[in-house]
Amino acid sequence: MHDQLQQVFRDVFGNDAIVLTDETTADDIAEWDSLGHVNLMFAIEETFGVLFRGNQLAEFENVGELERFLEANATVRPG
Amino acid sequence: MMVVRSLSEPQEVTIADADDLVRAGKDEEAIVAYTAAGGELPSASVCLSLARCHERLGSRGEAFRWALEVARAGDDFRSWQAAAALARRTEDSADPPRRSARLALLGSYTTKQLATMLWLAARSLGVSLELYESAFAQYRQEIIDPHSEMYQFGPDLILLAVHAGELDLPLYSDAPADTISSEVERWRTLWALVAERSSATVLQHLFALPADAPFGHLGATLPGARATLAQAVNAALAAAAAPAHVAVVDCERLASLVGKRHWFDRRYWHIAWQAVALDALPLLARHTAAVAASTLGLAKKCLVLDLDNTLWGGIVGEDGLHGISLGDGPAGEPFLDFQRSVLALKQRGVILAVCSKNNESDAKEVFEQHPGMIIGLDDVAAFVADWRPKPEQLRAVAADLSLGLDSLVFVDDNPAEREAVRQFLPEVDVVTLPSDPSQYVDALNDYLLFEPASFTAEDLRRTEQYRGRRAAATAAAAATTIEDFYRSLEMSCVVSPFTEGDLPRLAQLVGKTNQFNLTTRRHSANALQQFASRPDCVHLSFRLTDRLADHGLVALVIAFQNGDALDVDTWLMSCRVIGRSLEATMAQELARAAGARDCNTVVATYVPSERNALAAGILSTLGFRQVDDQDGATRWAYGLNTQPPIVNEHIVVRRSR
Repeated sequence: MHDQLQQVFRDVFGNDAIVLTDETTADDIAEWDSLGHVNLMFAIEETFGVLFRGNQLAEFENVGELERFLEANATVRPG
Repeated sequence: MMVVRSLSEPQEVTIADADDLVRAGKDEEAIVAYTAAGGELPSASVCLSLARCHERLGSRGEAFRWALEVARAGDDFRSWQAAAALARRTEDSADPPRRSARLALLGSYTTKQLATMLWLAARSLGVSLELYESAFAQYRQEIIDPHSEMYQFGPDLILLAVHAGELDLPLYSDAPADTISSEVERWRTLWALVAERSSATVLQHLFALPADAPFGHLGATLPGARATLAQAVNAALAAAAAPAHVAVVDCERLASLVGKRHWFDRRYWHIAWQAVALDALPLLARHTAAVAASTLGLAKKCLVLDLDNTLWGGIVGEDGLHGISLGDGPAGEPFLDFQRSVLALKQRGVILAVCSKNNESDAKEVFEQHPGMIIGLDDVAAFVADWRPKPEQLRAVAADLSLGLDSLVFVDDNPAEREAVRQFLPEVDVVTLPSDPSQYVDALNDYLLFEPASFTAEDLRRTEQYRGRRAAATAAAAATTIEDFYRSLEMSCVVSPFTEGDLPRLAQLVGKTNQFNLTTRRHSANALQQFASRPDCVHLSFRLTDRLADHGLVALVIAFQNGDALDVDTWLMSCRVIGRSLEATMAQELARAAGARDCNTVVATYVPSERNALAAGILSTLGFRQVDDQDGATRWAYGLNTQPPIVNEHIVVRRSR
């Protein structure tokens, strides 16, 4: 899950140097602006087969919380 | 101890294996694994993985090539996004594009992602785009202000990427014609301003209409309802586009293709003003890029077709003229369907050519003799059938037609031939046919570079058929009686004794026809062949054509002479041509055959089954008189000399010997 999510971030932001930790937030990734946010949201939905409620993605504290959400809700397990 | 993997049982390499190799840092081995696992048409994500491996290994040209493949491999937003970034990084190592163009993207919604997709889609068609993107929803200001940044950018193309929310239409209009024309005028004014201030070509996205229906289904009947108005605006804009030298992209068709709920995702609209769902953007980008390429003169001109298993099923050199599948029956219908699509392209201006590994005489015989062929030799501008490799044959086609190789599109069912052409003639586009012939039509339709830049009615009027059809359409519109309707169909029928080539289809009809079948006697192909060789047997097959379609072999009769009576054993007709008066033609031909044998009566039996009630009244309708009734099976007779002749004037008969 962690590797897959990290790959999504790298794809979406076009930056293979991105390394995710539980504490990562939008502030840590330069490319994570409002446009990047939408692209990220879509890519996560598509990859893991989840559907966010409205702008739920913006409400997660950090990547750790997002990962726990995906662990509980993913309908697709890529890889 | 050394473990040797048995060579006789090769292990299937999977994408997951390849991914593992990437994680282990073994990019070269990963490339081999991805290539093996991906097959001829790797998915978008595999193309992307290959591009990444090549980039890490420093082979930037290959990395670029694989990134472009992503745009051909599937409409996968995430892969497209990453591929676009990679392709931009590596473009300097690529072969120069066929064309470069400056495109101003003027949108009414967030178009950042569309810009990225469009760049990739265009580059994969050989067009390197330099993009200017207007600030959010500033499309009008950019056009109206003569000093706008957009004009300073000096675009070759101006894309109006607008969505239905921009339509200024009331919920209901009392004067729909006025409402429509004033809305159309708003857009035409923008086009006119562009024409005055720039030499750019405008690409207009027509409106993908919302699925909301405040008036319900009744709305479709109300010219003043918003959805009806919007449709009319789309149509009027499209009609006004060509004279104004504006090219359109029919987003309504694209939205229908993916489904409207899929095209417009409200969450993304609310969060980010995305009027086209992100995963619909690759499709929109591909179509927009194809229209752009076409306006730049890059559309393809010639469709080069393989024959065996492409235009028909089977191999004519081995299976023989009558062994191939084409036309009647489930094996042959998909090929007929494909031929129709090919012919439609030809009729609207695409040049057809043939390139086949065959003896020329075998190949041409199918065009000349096979009853299922709808593409004729005179539809084919260049015909190459010999035993040279396909790349050489394609060169011969190009030389023959004085076309560049980059005008050709090659269609072949054989992956090895496709690969050979891709390798040796990269300028030629290759359409990959799926293994199921039923999907050939969609594969051809998904190929976008036959997009015509212009079209005039004269292009079509040249073809005889079109003229005929227009006249017939008028007749059909006026038909109020069943006779008028039959006449409007312009039916003709080929009546023939059974032939060896028709046997499979005849046996299929005898084995399967239930509804219009007077006796439901199931005879085998062997039995039919024996009947056909008996001197006392009358056997006739019927092929029906009308102005819209060739229905193929759809009916047959078998009858035996018994003294001065011709006794009908089997009389059946496929359900797809019921209600066209063909039964009258069959009776007419039976009577004719009876007369030729100096019979004076045609006798027929109706044996009721669970499914053939439909045929119960037919003999009486045709003028037969009931002469007997045994356990529900009724015998009927028609006297050649005592009753009026049966003539069906609605179907023109051609008799073949």
